[in-house]
Amino acid sequence: MPDPTPGPDDTGLDSSASPAEPAEPVAPASPAEPVPPADPASPAEPAETPEPVEETAERPAASPQPFIPGGGRFTPAAPSGTKRLWNAVRQRPDGGQVLVAVLVALLGFGAVLQVRADDDDALANARRDDLVQILDGLRRQADRLDDHVAELESDRRDLVSGADTEAAALEQAEERARSTGVLAGTIAAGGPGIIMTISDPDHDVAAYTMLRAINELRVAGAEAIQIRGGGNDAAVRVVASTSFENPSADVLTVGGVELEPPYEIVAIGEPGELSGSMMFANGVVASIEGDDKGGAEATVDEYDDLTVDVLHEPQAPQYARPAPEDGDDE
Amino acid sequence: MIPLAGLLVGILAGLYFDVSVPLELQPYLPIAIVAALDAVFGGIRAVIEGIFNDKVFVVSFIANVLIAAFIVFLGDQLGVGSQLSTAVIVVLGIRIFTNVATIRRHIFHA
Repeated sequence: MPDPTPGPDDTGLDSSASPAEPAEPVAPASPAEPVPPADPASPAEPAETPEPVEETAERPAASPQPFIPGGGRFTPAAPSGTKRLWNAVRQRPDGGQVLVAVLVALLGFGAVLQVRADDDDALANARRDDLVQILDGLRRQADRLDDHVAELESDRRDLVSGADTEAAALEQAEERARSTGVLAGTIAAGGPGIIMTISDPDHDVAAYTMLRAINELRVAGAEAIQIRGGGNDAAVRVVASTSFENPSADVLTVGGVELEPPYEIVAIGEPGELSGSMMFANGVVASIEGDDKGGAEATVDEYDDLTVDVLHEPQAPQYARPAPEDGDDE
Repeated sequence: MIPLAGLLVGILAGLYFDVSVPLELQPYLPIAIVAALDAVFGGIRAVIEGIFNDKVFVVSFIANVLIAAFIVFLGDQLGVGSQLSTAVIVVLGIRIFTNVATIRRHIFHA
């Protein structure tokens, strides 16, 4: 333990410590000690001491005691230090102590404030090297985090553009599915076109005639066709696999469905071309009406907006499957 | 007795009131506290040695605090504030050690 007390003080204390013991019983009895002549006031009431004693470091110099010659400083007859302290604590308060108390209270207040302020900002009283190190570490951490941010942002960009591409692809696919559905007859189609009504009371219109009419419509660019038999209210969407036949003389089946006249063919396409393809000389209308047998009549009306709403039920091909060498040239 | 109560009151007040140290006082408060601690330990030593005088204590307490704060202030003005703070702390620390050693010797006779 470091002991900065000057040498003579040290030795004087140690030698005076043991002689102080026998004097102790005397002390409580007579607070005014007779033995040390240099200590004028009673030790129990130190406040009365009139000497201008500086009680901090200057104390040895200001002490009136002749302490240098052989340990006279703490005289044996005086009460021990502990006792004096105890007496001072138990002492009846006087006015001078109030000021002391105020100062000590200020000390406690300030110390607590300082301690709590230090809790707030630990950096304020860190040393410069520590601060530099902390700063360095924080900077490295910030760099790492910046890298991380850049990485995440590029990821995000990739994902966003990927999502855009995906959405575009989805839209394209949906568009294609729609047009394919129109072609395959699985969804309803709308648009300008013609309605050709064939009144055929005598069932004279043969499947061949009907097939020819459909073919002419296709040549003219019809994109969706349906045939309705007004007699039995049956309708067929004409698709690639639709067949026309006459199982018996008076019966017309289209795609396996028997239709009763009058027939109503709805075709979506350019109305002028479609009706032209029906009406030209020796064309479909002429061949229907020109049948000598009876009173089949065909009328063609052009419309700006028609709906082909009969749907075809597609069936999975049983034999045909995509040939592998064709590839998928999307 | 009253000084002990005063210390307790001060600590409790510091805990109870959430007062922040004014910014311009912040460099001086720690030094002032150490100086005041020095004065307090000197006072305890004086009590034990039977030469306590409250007037001397008050004067030395205030003088200690003011001088320590002034030295730090001067150091700040001269640009050697941290070094002078260290110097003041070292000196006061040595004095506190001296006083506490004396008190210890009186109380424990060792």
